[in-house]
Amino acid sequence: MRTIFELCDLVRETAFAIHVFNGHGHLEKVYENALAHRLRKLGLKVAQQHPITVFDEDGTIIGEYLADLFVEDRLIIELKAAKAIAAEHTAQLLGYLKSSRNEHGLLINFGSYRFEIKKYAFSQNPPAQSQTRKLLPLLIAFSAFLCGKSNAANGIAFFEQKVRPVLVEHCYGCHSAEAKKLKGNLYLDSKAGWQKGGDSGEAVIIPGKPEQSLFIRSIQHLEADLEMPPKKPKLPDAVIADLVTWVKMGAPDPRDGAKLEAKRGDKTWWSLQPLRKDEGRKMKDESVSRIDEFITAQLAEKKLTLNPPAEPRTLIRRMTYDMTGLPPTSEEAEAFVRECTEDNETRRQGHGEKGDVSLPPHLPVSMSSPKARKAVEALVDRLLASPRYGERWGRHWLDVVRFGESNGFERNFVIDDLWPFRDYVIKSINDDKPFDQFIAEHLAGDVMGKDNPQVEVGSAFLVAGPYDDVGNQDVVAQKNIRAATLDDIITATSGAFLGLTINCARCHNHKFDPIPTEDYYRLRAAFEGITHGRRVVASTAQREAFASATKPLDDELKALEKEHDALDKAIEARAKEVLTRTKPLRPKIDPQGTSESFAPVEARQVKFIIQGLTSDHQAGKKGKRLAGGGGKLTEFQVWSADEPQRNVALASNGTKADGAKSATAEDFPEAYGPQYCIDGALGEAWFIGNPAVLTLTFAKPERIDRITFINARGDRSIDEGKVRGATPCEYEVQVSNDGKTWTTVASDEGREPWTPAHGIARARRVITTAEEEQQIATLEKKIAQVQAKLRAVPPLPQMWVGNAAQPREQTFVHKGGDPMKPGEAVVPASLNVLDQVTKPYELNPDAPESERRLALAKWITSSENPLTPRVLANRVWQHHFGTGIVDTPSDFGFLGSKPTHPELLDYLASRLIANGWKLKPLHREILLSQTYLQSAAFREDAAKEDKDARLLWRFPPRRLSAEELRDTMLTVAGKLQLEPMGGPGFRLYRYLANNVSTYVPLDAHGPETYRRAVYHQNARASVVDVLNDFDLPDIAFAAPKRANTTTPLQALTLLNHSFTLDMARALAARIQTGDAVTQAYRFTFQREPTAKEHEAAKKLIATHGHEAFCRALLNANELLYLE
Amino acid sequence: MNSPFELTRRHFLGQMTTGLTGVALSRLLNDALAAAPNRQPHFAPKAKQVLQIFCPGAASHVDLWDHKPMLDRFHGTPMPGADKEVTFQGKNGNLMKSPWAFAPSGQSGKMISSMLPHMAKHVDDMAFIHSMASRTNTHGPGCIYMNSCFTREGFPSAGSWVSYALGSMNDNLPTYIAMQDVRGEPPNGKANWSNGFLSAQYQAVSMAAQQPLRNLARPASITVGEEQATRDFLKLIDEEHAALHPGNDELRARMAAYELAAKMQLTAPEVSDLSREPQHVHELYGTNDNNKLKAAYARNCLLSRRFLEQGVRYVSLYCASRASNVDGLLNWDAHKTLKADYERHLPIFDQPTAALLTDLKQRGMLSDVLVVWCTEFGRMPTHQEGTSGRDHNPDAFTTWMMGAGVKGGVSFGETDDFGRRAAVDVTSVYDFYATVLHLLGLNHEKLTYYHNGANRRLTDVHGHVIKNILV
Repeated sequence: MRTIFELCDLVRETAFAIHVFNGHGHLEKVYENALAHRLRKLGLKVAQQHPITVFDEDGTIIGEYLADLFVEDRLIIELKAAKAIAAEHTAQLLGYLKSSRNEHGLLINFGSYRFEIKKYAFSQNPPAQSQTRKLLPLLIAFSAFLCGKSNAANGIAFFEQKVRPVLVEHCYGCHSAEAKKLKGNLYLDSKAGWQKGGDSGEAVIIPGKPEQSLFIRSIQHLEADLEMPPKKPKLPDAVIADLVTWVKMGAPDPRDGAKLEAKRGDKTWWSLQPLRKDEGRKMKDESVSRIDEFITAQLAEKKLTLNPPAEPRTLIRRMTYDMTGLPPTSEEAEAFVRECTEDNETRRQGHGEKGDVSLPPHLPVSMSSPKARKAVEALVDRLLASPRYGERWGRHWLDVVRFGESNGFERNFVIDDLWPFRDYVIKSINDDKPFDQFIAEHLAGDVMGKDNPQVEVGSAFLVAGPYDDVGNQDVVAQKNIRAATLDDIITATSGAFLGLTINCARCHNHKFDPIPTEDYYRLRAAFEGITHGRRVVASTAQREAFASATKPLDDELKALEKEHDALDKAIEARAKEVLTRTKPLRPKIDPQGTSESFAPVEARQVKFIIQGLTSDHQAGKKGKRLAGGGGKLTEFQVWSADEPQRNVALASNGTKADGAKSATAEDFPEAYGPQYCIDGALGEAWFIGNPAVLTLTFAKPERIDRITFINARGDRSIDEGKVRGATPCEYEVQVSNDGKTWTTVASDEGREPWTPAHGIARARRVITTAEEEQQIATLEKKIAQVQAKLRAVPPLPQMWVGNAAQPREQTFVHKGGDPMKPGEAVVPASLNVLDQVTKPYELNPDAPESERRLALAKWITSSENPLTPRVLANRVWQHHFGTGIVDTPSDFGFLGSKPTHPELLDYLASRLIANGWKLKPLHREILLSQTYLQSAAFREDAAKEDKDARLLWRFPPRRLSAEELRDTMLTVAGKLQLEPMGGPGFRLYRYLANNVSTYVPLDAHGPETYRRAVYHQNARASVVDVLNDFDLPDIAFAAPKRANTTTPLQALTLLNHSFTLDMARALAARIQTGDAVTQAYRFTFQREPTAKEHEAAKKLIATHGHEAFCRALLNANELLYLE
Repeated sequence: MNSPFELTRRHFLGQMTTGLTGVALSRLLNDALAAAPNRQPHFAPKAKQVLQIFCPGAASHVDLWDHKPMLDRFHGTPMPGADKEVTFQGKNGNLMKSPWAFAPSGQSGKMISSMLPHMAKHVDDMAFIHSMASRTNTHGPGCIYMNSCFTREGFPSAGSWVSYALGSMNDNLPTYIAMQDVRGEPPNGKANWSNGFLSAQYQAVSMAAQQPLRNLARPASITVGEEQATRDFLKLIDEEHAALHPGNDELRARMAAYELAAKMQLTAPEVSDLSREPQHVHELYGTNDNNKLKAAYARNCLLSRRFLEQGVRYVSLYCASRASNVDGLLNWDAHKTLKADYERHLPIFDQPTAALLTDLKQRGMLSDVLVVWCTEFGRMPTHQEGTSGRDHNPDAFTTWMMGAGVKGGVSFGETDDFGRRAAVDVTSVYDFYATVLHLLGLNHEKLTYYHNGANRRLTDVHGHVIKNILV
């Protein structure tokens, strides 16, 4: 028989399960029935609404109460569905216990969000010292109870009394099989659960060692961010002490439940297994391709079949777009249709030729003839050989590697020299470069191909992502920024090549995949030496040629400068001497306000001619006036000679200010202008430009006798250099009445120099002889000439490929992802997650930077590594069929989707390796499969079974991508420029840079933008028309899969943007002769119009012209959809 | 995951004609073509719409909303324990009091800056959160953190999440609008209203009084007659094409998108037309103020009200813009000359914003509209060394909420004596948006979207609803 305690626990767990399942919104009766039902299922005797006789003190029956539940004739259960357990509920239960002379009762409240259960024992035997009966909540010491039993039994009893109730009440909500949402992947409702542990990956209780047990440490609030129970006060000390005692006892735990079906993957996860061997043909018909075997076998399970082959016109459109991103020409389409259908006689003999990838013989008439097969094969070969193939598939890859041409974050500066990487990708794909090599070059091209720019540029992958380059002085922020910068590289690498979300392990072990935090930092160790930036990428020959061209010029320059310096020093020495003998007549200028008075004069205009700034004469700089720039003025005042003195310069008097600015903000034209000098406020300032002249024009002639210029806004105590920038310190003030004749009324003459250097510079002007001036001028001219020659030598090419340097310190785990909390050191090494299938490596902590990335590259592209070929093969499949076999192409982990055709995926991955990691043979095999060649026709019955056609009972139709759409419009309009195939990109935005960048989409797209969209300079957060409307991703993250939206804004752009109008006009110009409608249909859809279409089109043209007709065609669904 | 096509909808699509209402059309688009949840709140909402007012550049809490008398008392003396502190732009000087006095306002007597006389009228309706703390001290990441709860780009903004969760209330208008300041985009630009990894339809449409919706208007070269004839022909050929392709619902949806676009072409210009407002409303906002920047912001305030009135779900209204070559010129980033900078920014902000709140209140719109005021972080209580400005302070700043479901005249959380750090009830951006979503009837832990290996949430893995400020 169960002890009363076991009974209570059973009830408690059952009730909690009901709470979890049913929530807290029901009537009390519902819970009563549920609990009774479940307890009976457990084999307990349960009475509902059990009458309990109530006795008076002397034993007289005085009435009857109904207990909600009475279990095993021993335990009273009172149920509530109230907001909270109230005192009267407790009183009621105690009353029942007392009256019924039962010892044990449970009060359970289901009515609140938080499940409440209280246990009451009513002792019938009063303690010796007390004359009254005492109520004893059960959480009192039970040592007496334990006496005299064996240790094991004692342990279990202790667990049942002291531990289990705590676990049930405080832990099961998040850490049990019944938990609504399992937290931390930790189960505390079985012994196996805590032995296995959760995300920490280790047992949370170490028997006998409470101080090492994460469970104990968490409830003691000794673990940051793991204070348990969460968001609640710490458990009472006594409870914690019991739990510690229990762990000290060795954590006896009778719960043998194995509810360990963790909601996560381990190393047995499907994608981490070696590629399975293809077990060979299953069907007798050897002419059926292996791909089709896999597909049809799975279709057959659902009693489905492939569609018949697509029509030739449909097929050539599909294939041409698929492989090149462009439509076929109408001539190509017509020729292909002819080739497929001409020969009707030989079609039935057409399955003689053997081969791995021949067309199956049972195709319907038009496509099954040997001629048709030949035509298809010829088409596939032609497309694979086309340079357009690299442009199309290169774009897919650029999405995967998060290629963006600006650095993102606040400043988001455009990067003008990352395009060589884009060209490298396109060329590599056109050359069918083996992908193991291609991927390795991404990680270590600079190591593998030192001085070979074609290979070196591959490693630009590392720095093609966003990074924060704002100058931050805060050390903690700097460390976090660095961590985020490397995180981008880690995330991109693991996602693109391995299909792993290793980035999830930055702060803790991966919640769903068997990736420990160390793996993340092992990967970081490989990239620790990488920084973003550009550098020269050139071959040895280029470098040598450059050196031999520049060396003599450099030497010449040095000699000239030496001569110049000698002369300069001599003059300066004399100037210094003069300066010591000169006493200034007037004080130096004052940024807070400098006044110049002069005899009263009538003037319509005042000019302030600035000849020097305080910044021009800093120590160590040669004295050139206005060399420094950066001068500012906040206010310029002109005072009337008559009393009361008025500032007649104020704009409010009708005065106008003119002057060049040294800064502009194109999206805020007024900024930095001279008008701020006369706004009467010390707020904004004029940024003095070139020529450095402020001209004020009064509304009417004014009699004036003084000016004041101010370059300050703050207290005198503040450092003007930090606040304002330079103040004019050499100047003339001129006045005029007609704007032609100017009279100088004041200047800085006689003022104390701003700095000694300023004084020397002024003195130099006085003491330099004409001969010396001549000498200097001659030398400077010669220097300028040599410098010009140097500039004329073509510089070595710079590219945004990043820089690699030996890391200064070892890589550490960041506890909780916090760089300020270093954990254990890690070495550059392979990832644990694959150590059972791919040979691991481990480098020394101080391994050379280059070796780290090379080792990683080798490991990722090792033929044992099952992830890399699987992920790649899946990407290829995805772009042919719209959806991958795994439809989360960069996540092959637990949260990703599972493969629809796992065997096919492994087959494709194996083929990829067998083909030497070349894509073209794989494309060919897929393109020639019946699965690919089938029609896209919709079938109601099949759709019922498989509405998204994931099993491929039809070819899935799709919308054109953003680039395909724009390229198509250019193509049908006859405007697409295929050359230059590469080089710097074009822009569909206006780029504004003023401290930070702004990208303004262009309202008109000129002919210089008529290149393929892959050559658009894709800056991050530069939303441009057409491309972004049609789901070109903002490449902050890798975009292995494009969205496919349909929005009214797309319609607005495609109808109204000037690009459409331009293309409509160009297309209209192409169809001016002959049958315009038929021609347009051929260009646009590669077919003839129907009679109905022809008639309607002619009518539209007749009333509104060709352009209206063409504008409609460019908006047509038929243009955008492929089947 | 994207499982768009229900049988009933296919049936419905088959039946669709131009006669359908915009609501039906858009539901079709939203439901059929995006991975959308069921467009229902999780529980009864208090608010249906959000107006977010964002002052980029880190508007100083200790000079606007968070009264710190100790700053006056210890002005010019070193902040205890801060001698070695290096913040964003470098070292810091002594404590610096606000250049302006604070004044008690409203029934609640809330102390706010005397430079905000118009805003002072609304304090009894506002719930201040004084204990905000950010995770970055840099504007760009700070702005997107305040908007998306992540410091790096690529995550959806709160407005996108709300659009994704709740959809549109008026299909003839965009669901989510980012109202641009005349001075340009905020730090990190378009990432502030990005859809991130949600589909493109959930990004904000960027516009303002000075910047109409892109591509909305029929090109000037095309007459009404030509437009109609072109559309008719397009419809005819699309119908022909669709008839040959049964079962491809996307084709129908795209035809519907063209019809919606036409409706938007009619509606949006009407709503944007401020000349329809009476003179006294213009005066209330200050749309014709001599200060051009103030007038421009006032027009955007008025425009925001008009769009909210027509059922736009989420409006992000920006007051100021990015960092320019001069700190504090184009936005609230007063590093060096705080007094001069804020004497420019505060008058632009005060009257128009207050007018917008008054207007919303008068029209009873605050029963549906939740107003939130944001900035990316706060400023130091000390002055930046050698200047009379304040450097970045990610550890303390103030935000406030008002309107649907929010308690008025309350303050939640506190900073320390000087406003250096959030000290009591420290509140994160996650908590802030957990609360916003809660008011919209959404459980922030349940609003998720799978992306690259994780079921993402607006509030990442954090966030608690701030119950204290709820009605």
